[in-house]
Amino acid sequence: MDEGAPAMTTDPGPGRTVVEYGYGGNERLVMNMGPQHPSAHGVFRAILTLEGETVVAVDAVIGYLHRCHEKLAETLTYVQYPSIASKTDYVSAMTAELAYVASVEKVGKIDVPKRAQYLRVLAAELQRIASHCLWLGTWCMDMGGALGGGATIFLYTIRERELILDLFEALTGARLLYGFHQVGGVRYDPPAGWAARCRETVDLIERRLVEYEAMLEDNAFFLVRTQGVGVISRELAQDVGVCGPLARGSGVDYDVRRADPYSSYGDFDFKVPVETAGDCFARYRVRMVEFRESIKLVRQVLDGLPEGPISSRPGVKSVGQVRIPKGEGYTRVEGARGELGCYLVADGGAKPYRLKWRGASFSNLSVLPHIIPGHKIADVVAIMGSVDPVFGEVDR
Amino acid sequence: MPSSPSFWAETGQLVRAVGRALGVTFQNFFRRPVTVQYPTVKRVYPDRFRGILALAYEKDTGEEACIGCRLCEFICPPQVIKVEMRKAEKRNYAKTFTLELYSCEFCELCVQVCPTDAIIMLKTFDLATADRRELLLDKDRLHALGLQHEPSWATGNRLRDMQAPPKPVKAEAKAGGKAEAKEPAE
Amino acid sequence: MPPYLHHAITGFIVLNVVIGLVTYVTLLERKFAARMQSRIGPYYVGWPHGWLQPIADALKLMMKEDIVPTAADRWVYNLAPIAFLVPCILIFATIPFAPGLGVADLNIGVLFFLAVSSLEIVGLFMGGWGSNNKYALLSAMRAVNQIISYDLPFIFAALVPVVLAGSLQLSAIVSAQTGFWFVAYPVLGQLAFVAFLIATLAAENRVPFDILEAESELVAGFRVEYSGMKFSLIMLGEYAHMLGTSFLGALLFLGGWLGPGPAWLGPVWFLLKAMLIFLLVTWVRWSFVRIRVDQILAISWKLLLPATLLLLMATALVVALQGVRAV
Repeated sequence: MDEGAPAMTTDPGPGRTVVEYGYGGNERLVMNMGPQHPSAHGVFRAILTLEGETVVAVDAVIGYLHRCHEKLAETLTYVQYPSIASKTDYVSAMTAELAYVASVEKVGKIDVPKRAQYLRVLAAELQRIASHCLWLGTWCMDMGGALGGGATIFLYTIRERELILDLFEALTGARLLYGFHQVGGVRYDPPAGWAARCRETVDLIERRLVEYEAMLEDNAFFLVRTQGVGVISRELAQDVGVCGPLARGSGVDYDVRRADPYSSYGDFDFKVPVETAGDCFARYRVRMVEFRESIKLVRQVLDGLPEGPISSRPGVKSVGQVRIPKGEGYTRVEGARGELGCYLVADGGAKPYRLKWRGASFSNLSVLPHIIPGHKIADVVAIMGSVDPVFGEVDR
Repeated sequence: MPSSPSFWAETGQLVRAVGRALGVTFQNFFRRPVTVQYPTVKRVYPDRFRGILALAYEKDTGEEACIGCRLCEFICPPQVIKVEMRKAEKRNYAKTFTLELYSCEFCELCVQVCPTDAIIMLKTFDLATADRRELLLDKDRLHALGLQHEPSWATGNRLRDMQAPPKPVKAEAKAGGKAEAKEPAE
Repeated sequence: MPPYLHHAITGFIVLNVVIGLVTYVTLLERKFAARMQSRIGPYYVGWPHGWLQPIADALKLMMKEDIVPTAADRWVYNLAPIAFLVPCILIFATIPFAPGLGVADLNIGVLFFLAVSSLEIVGLFMGGWGSNNKYALLSAMRAVNQIISYDLPFIFAALVPVVLAGSLQLSAIVSAQTGFWFVAYPVLGQLAFVAFLIATLAAENRVPFDILEAESELVAGFRVEYSGMKFSLIMLGEYAHMLGTSFLGALLFLGGWLGPGPAWLGPVWFLLKAMLIFLLVTWVRWSFVRIRVDQILAISWKLLLPATLLLLMATALVVALQGVRAV
């Protein structure tokens, strides 16, 4: 399939480097883990150069999901775009919308009432739990096969994720892409009985987490697949610029919620898990602790939710309602995958002049050519799963 | 296998871990399946469910509620709504109203901006068809859908009331009537 | 009736029964796995519990287009499913369902079974090679590694009951278990049974050893280029082999057709015991993630082979001291 094309490993082209791992004098096979693949986590093409079962070089090709978000933002107003923003990191839509509206509010210097801030935190943390449920399920399915034990864990975590999606459905009416945030606050107030239901759901998920850990934690099969695999050293993490659970799994103690608190995160008490091993197992531990910390946060928010308005601006009545004066600024949030940021340049009108998304998965993927060579093919899927990319963020 | 200090300790741990994993699947064997046998059984949709769109009639007069103001057309992000206004003496009407449901995002922004609660969402999504042209809804079809299915809770006025900051004089009641929104100081 | 006619008729009946059983065993696995995953398996086809699902699957596969890749090695590609299926069905010839009820109760029954069942690897490799597909080739190479490595512990574990009974003939082994199944034999029986199950999992390419077909990496492994009837032959072969080793396990360790009740209930007990082993393997399959190929080989050569070898020698020692448990 690549006959006639220049060998990827020797001449990757201007501006691109491919890290090679010298293995031996054996014959090399160039294999395409193509955009259509059960474990590509989206549309991702990895051109692997193999010697036997060992990967010698990786050339990552992205861009299959490019939908011109940044150009689209220039043609849609501040009122229209939040529901589109959720489609960048579509697995963790609440944090994606939050990144956008927070940047608009920062540039426009718009306050958000306290209740809305707490509701935003609640939505973001519930979404983080749901996104990690999906991560755990798909990662185990990649490692265990669609027809094996991994599928069992996948179905259990999806069953739990459905509970959270039901909560969001009762709150906003939609299950995956919400349009919950708007400039100045949020659009929906929780209906009666929602808080009690939220508590029950979170309690149930905490109990089920114990089951997942029982299935995985001491399991030698799981441990040999994940320990020592895909080690990102601390220096590499800081050099390449990975973020989120990847960085925290390698010893970089950084979380945007604590370093740069937004939306009243400073009012709450939560721990940021850090592991030093840097392998897939460390990242797994980080996310499992994040599950529990998010559950704690949800309970704190529900306990302290103040009364009050949910938006500092009246409800949307016309398309050009929000006008932001000239200015620019960068706002970031801690999405489920890392630092999701939005750089906005406003020019006084109802539409942004320029919007730039900083996708967490985009930075995280750039570490792959450094850590995959030297591993076997089976480890490629384990590493991809622990990196947890969502290609809406990568390609936008 | 990773090397360990004691073969027997590791084997014992493996056996325990295997037993625990098998125990979890065994426990789940006896739980009730979460499958909902759609379409014989439908799950209960919440009040605010965002389903397919429809046009409503006014409650008191029974006339069409849409005044053809085109606010929904302007706010729709994928621009799927096209409206033409027909002027009349007391109030305006919509001459034509087309909504391309196959491109609709179901973001509820059109419902949010409607001043007369004319466009609403229903608590159903079941409009699957083999011919995409059936999803190009015209005004008659939209009105017919509104009569056939149960509407969702959200209408324009209710949503805007929920989002409006309260006036200091009148106490804010969530299910209450229209509170005139004051422009808040920024 | 001349003996060859007798054998032909019995063979024909057993073949049909086995193929029928194999198709319905897929339904059993799907329903069992579904219940473990909080869902209901096939339901609507053959309402109310998917009884016609295997028939529907078979019909669908028969009606599918038979695609042969242009660059595939035609002879090898086309013969591979048959070369895979024939050994997997041939093993049923030696299995007695009840005393005297079997196609051919050879007095080297166990040897025949083990030898023929490992011939499937030839068909498997032919499929991987003939497909002219890198994924299939990788998978076939992994398969050769894995199945050959695990055949040895499989044979040694299966030889423990043979040594205890003193005969390779399957009906003699079952008769030797009257009143005392080999799985209940202190320490040796249980360890041999566990080793047998582990080796079965590996020889069948079942999770946690299914690196061969690793759905999420190699997307169906050596089967990836097959469609339609050839695919169904391969699936039939896999499940037939699975069922065959379950039958073998029931005969060697769980006492075959022995059970309370009248003699005609024997085959029923036999089927139930085979199903028990099958469900046990399925239960393990749906609970674990898979391990990497080098780890699989390490387990086989460093752990399972020495263990089963020691087990066999211990059994031989015990039998030499105590005498066989022959009837």
